[in-house]
Amino acid sequence: MRVATDIGGTFTDLVYVDGEGNIGVAKSPTTPPNFEQGVIDVISKSEVDPQSIQTFIHGTTVIINALTERTGVTTGLITTAGFRDVLEIARGNRPDLFNLRYEKPEPFVERYLRQEVSERMNQLGEVVLPLDEERIKELVDYFKKENVDAIAVAYLHAYKNPAHEIRTVELIEKLWPEVAVTASHEVTKEWREYERTNTAVLNSYVKPIASSYINRLNGRLGELGTGELRYIMQSNGGTTTFEQAKQTPINMVESGPVAGIYGAAYLGEIIGEKNIIAFDIGGTTAKCSLIADGEVKVSTDYYIEKDEYNAGYPIKTPVVDIVEIGNGGGSIAWIDEGGALKVGPQSAGSVPGPVAYGQGGTEPTTTDANLLTGRLSAGNFDYDVDMGRVKEAIKEKVADRFGMEPEDGALGIIRIANSNMLNALKLISVRKGYDPRDFTLVAFGGGGSMHAPALAKELGVGKVVVPIASPVFSAWGMLMTDLRHDYIQTYIARVNGLDLKKFNNEWDELADTATAQFQEEKIAKENIRLLRFADMRYAGQEHTVKVPLVSGPITQESIQQLICDFHELHEKNYTFKIEDAETEIVNLHLTAFGSIEKPTLKKLETGVGSVTEALKENRPVYYEQEGWVDTDVYDRQKLGPDMTFNGPAIIEEQAAVTVIYPGQSALIDDYGNLIIETEVR
Amino acid sequence: MTAIKEHQKLDPFTLEIVKDSLVAIGEEMFHTLARTSMSPVIYEVLDYASGLTDAKGQLLTQGNGVTGFIGMLTFMVKETLKKFGNEGDLKPGDIIIINDSYGGGGSHLSDVGFVMPIFVDGELIAFAANKAHWTDVGGKDPGSFSNDATEIYQEGLQLPCVKLYDEGRLNQAIIDMIEANVRFPNLSLGDLWAQVAAIRTGDKRVRELCEKNGTQTVKAAIENYLDHGEQMARKELAKLPKGEFFAKDFVDDDGFGNGPFHVQVKVTITEDKFICDFRGSHPQVPGPVNVTYTGLVSAVRTVFLAITNPSQDVNDGVFRPLEIITDPASILSAERPAPVSVYWEAMQGGADVVMQALASHLPDRLPAGQLLSVCAVTLSGNHHVNGEPFLIVEPSAGGWGAARGQDGARGQFCIGDGETYNVPVEVAETRYGVMIDEYSLKTDGMGAGEFIGGAGVIRSYRAMTDKQMVSATFGRNKFHPWGLNGGEKGSPNEFIIEKKDGSTDGPFGMYPRYPLDKGDVVKLMTATGGGYGNPLKRPVEQVARDVKNGYMTAIQAEEKYGVKVNPTTFQVDGITGKREN
Repeated sequence: MRVATDIGGTFTDLVYVDGEGNIGVAKSPTTPPNFEQGVIDVISKSEVDPQSIQTFIHGTTVIINALTERTGVTTGLITTAGFRDVLEIARGNRPDLFNLRYEKPEPFVERYLRQEVSERMNQLGEVVLPLDEERIKELVDYFKKENVDAIAVAYLHAYKNPAHEIRTVELIEKLWPEVAVTASHEVTKEWREYERTNTAVLNSYVKPIASSYINRLNGRLGELGTGELRYIMQSNGGTTTFEQAKQTPINMVESGPVAGIYGAAYLGEIIGEKNIIAFDIGGTTAKCSLIADGEVKVSTDYYIEKDEYNAGYPIKTPVVDIVEIGNGGGSIAWIDEGGALKVGPQSAGSVPGPVAYGQGGTEPTTTDANLLTGRLSAGNFDYDVDMGRVKEAIKEKVADRFGMEPEDGALGIIRIANSNMLNALKLISVRKGYDPRDFTLVAFGGGGSMHAPALAKELGVGKVVVPIASPVFSAWGMLMTDLRHDYIQTYIARVNGLDLKKFNNEWDELADTATAQFQEEKIAKENIRLLRFADMRYAGQEHTVKVPLVSGPITQESIQQLICDFHELHEKNYTFKIEDAETEIVNLHLTAFGSIEKPTLKKLETGVGSVTEALKENRPVYYEQEGWVDTDVYDRQKLGPDMTFNGPAIIEEQAAVTVIYPGQSALIDDYGNLIIETEVR
Repeated sequence: MTAIKEHQKLDPFTLEIVKDSLVAIGEEMFHTLARTSMSPVIYEVLDYASGLTDAKGQLLTQGNGVTGFIGMLTFMVKETLKKFGNEGDLKPGDIIIINDSYGGGGSHLSDVGFVMPIFVDGELIAFAANKAHWTDVGGKDPGSFSNDATEIYQEGLQLPCVKLYDEGRLNQAIIDMIEANVRFPNLSLGDLWAQVAAIRTGDKRVRELCEKNGTQTVKAAIENYLDHGEQMARKELAKLPKGEFFAKDFVDDDGFGNGPFHVQVKVTITEDKFICDFRGSHPQVPGPVNVTYTGLVSAVRTVFLAITNPSQDVNDGVFRPLEIITDPASILSAERPAPVSVYWEAMQGGADVVMQALASHLPDRLPAGQLLSVCAVTLSGNHHVNGEPFLIVEPSAGGWGAARGQDGARGQFCIGDGETYNVPVEVAETRYGVMIDEYSLKTDGMGAGEFIGGAGVIRSYRAMTDKQMVSATFGRNKFHPWGLNGGEKGSPNEFIIEKKDGSTDGPFGMYPRYPLDKGDVVKLMTATGGGYGNPLKRPVEQVARDVKNGYMTAIQAEEKYGVKVNPTTFQVDGITGKREN
């Protein structure tokens, strides 16, 4: 039995797959601040026998919560002399250009806890000044006196030569074994000192929190007697062991959300779709990610709290590329001072929630609009819905302002919300040089399936897949993951005249590191898969393209291939190539997978029941083009393989609804996935 | 594709969605340029802007890396319409190149702009435009902008609104001219291609938008959008205090020992107008600190947005209430052939007097004085490892003013910059022939106040080869950032040279081409911001914390803030009589 649990804002989800490939789900409330309790609760609610759990995979919001709520520990920072303020100066940028009262993000370490030591490497990794070891001893005493719980060490050019950082950590661990320490090169080996320093600081800041959480969870799982294979979901779309997660908790910052993206890619493999746009709508946000040719894109250009008003904080660890916007089911519709309708980013949240919840919410939300237009049914809410109040709120706050009927106001809210989401979907596809017509939209989360068919039509996507377990799809994705580690090493070199021996050595070292890591995690050699990429650019340019590299020793031939591929990818991403320009490597990127055994999914029985039996009701639904249309409503539970029907139609399941538009058609596949053909091609 | 018919009713939501699409197009053009540029000053410093205007040149949407360009795209398009004003002069596929400061450019020659008319079914619908700082456009000094130019002819190649592409056909002669006239032709031409790619993206997307929604709908959305912008601005204008407000200050000097030069403003706010009258300011000067009228407009627009609503969508409708008046040929409205390469000194001087006039009346929108100058540095020489020539062109971060309820930001780029990024030490040391000895906050002289001015920044470049040259233009060197409502002034921008032999030279505010040999250090130190409110009102515990953090010394705590802080334990030992009173 393989079990995945995913902690969300309101619910902790569980999905399991047993030895025969049967899938089951459960949900239980999230239990802050003792999140492990919610995990134990949901296991018990699922009625899975804990002792039959061989593999346990977990996604958690503990790290991101500690960061955004500033509940990490007091952290000290040691830097190269002359550079303690790098953390505070940051990059000096101001996204909110015209706000002359811009507030710069405050560093996570106050100035008196940022201390300097005499040492220096140059850009070649040569020692310019030796490390002043005496000073480290003084600083340990100082940090003890100041009640520091964690220390970060970040020296210049440590990505090139980490010797001084390594020695510093050794000294600290000897003098003060209890304190949590992170050296910058342990979390990222890329250049740019501010980004690397901040990443090291944030890792230290949450390290004790992560340790204590994982230890508690591990203890509780031990008491239940679950198997020893326990993994945590990382931001790179793969898992790691509990032990490793305690060392670099910053790798878990997007633990939950990326699992859904990975799940979409995995599902694509099963159903034969290699090009996928994964699309997840929750209560407050919508997230999307593009998967081309089966590959989940990972980058280290990740920030927390960054938006058009705030510079945010960089975290230079590999994170699945996700675009997130402030539009979800709870997003509030409002009219701005110039009389234009806007939806989000403010959300009614779960308390008070949409007007429909009847919990005191007075502002109309996307959910309310979906209810008034018949997409959602009052009967499916956990609350007693007062339709009169929903209608009144939309009438008063939106429709009356434009002199229109409430349902037209509601449709306006849906259209504006869709427009916001469409822009996000275009951002990851059209604007990166991909044609959406080559892609399939996989929609999940509470609201994904409701909006996806309309968006697919707008975007020109021909097919929408609403997977089984779509409301808990992130947990489903976790079930399918392998262990994954990314090793990224800044390595600046012109490709012409590249020293092949040195280059191969560098790769071998990365591969050795990966193999050693997996050995510790008890992964057999034959289950290790290594993928190599070079981050490349035209000499003089800044932005890089990730170019895959063949396996095996690198020869002049493979280098020529690399250059060719680079030109092609550059043209795809940036619209042009310069064939005669010199190319340069910036980073080496090794992705290492350690595959663990997974059960194959079971195909569902065909010929059980009929579409007519799945029909729940017929109700009027208000569409953009057609107006009110009486629409058949189906119960997803009762839909089986090979059943087909045409839109307009509504499909209801627990915690999600799919809206199929007139002109679109739907099919249930062998695994229970709902496949919608949009009217585009 | 589903082409929606023209007759479909223009409901408010369709207009809103088309508006959003226009804004998204602006953003896409902006990011395309950053992704494809070859020059650090564009992709790291984001010293560029791009956007769309309507068929008359009214700004619709602009993606900005810096505030200084807000408004300049409009002037480029208007120049294009003036020059190619006859029916049929502009054709689909045309791309116009402009950098002439006095012919639509507005800033200095280093900023090269492109304009592309967008046609749908033969009808001119809109323009796409962008403008970016090239590493070099020729002229007498590396990096092209020089702080001792006396005529614009010394400042580089002038591109006076000419067609680079004629109906999609490249005019190779222009490319050849550029190649022959600039120092790093591969960088400059790389930027040229990036700008062309970005502007074509705008053209393509607008045509797609028209195809999808119908040209009439898009035109209606454009009208609606401009009116919406005006409406938003007028609503904010109604909330402002009415009357006349005055301020006067100085631009330090012009690099030739002339100056200081006074700049002054009378701001008149009425129910429906916001008028900035700069008449009486100094006539244009021999050195390159002058700004054109176009440049001044951008500076004033920045302050106008800060005062009205900094977070709104920006289009020309927003600026309809704004009027700007100058004398002819003043330092704020220079005329050919006055040099303008470090134009931001007068430009931000103009912005600063508007802020000074209004800050005490609008403490929730405007802070005290800040570093104000771009503090531009150019450093050239040969790389110590590969021997290749290198050129650093970069602005410097410094201290911002404090405001009601808020300490000044520490280490930020000036008001004229924006989404501007410093060059990381590790990147600089790899790419350039320098080592950086220090990158830290300059806390000494932070404007005292209940809210304290922001720290400046110290950045020290050590030359790693002989025969390097550094030029720097640090304004606000003689006149310090001002304090507000009882807060004290900050400290100036300045730099010194620390020679290998132990001697020092300086401090300087402006210096052209100071020679550096291996081991010599140029230490750049930017201003600290002005303070807000009476320093004696800063909470005692906060002052003790400031001392512990090294933002002030124990002596300063006692003298300025009336708090006695133990310099080793950082405990409060008591307060002074001054504070008790």
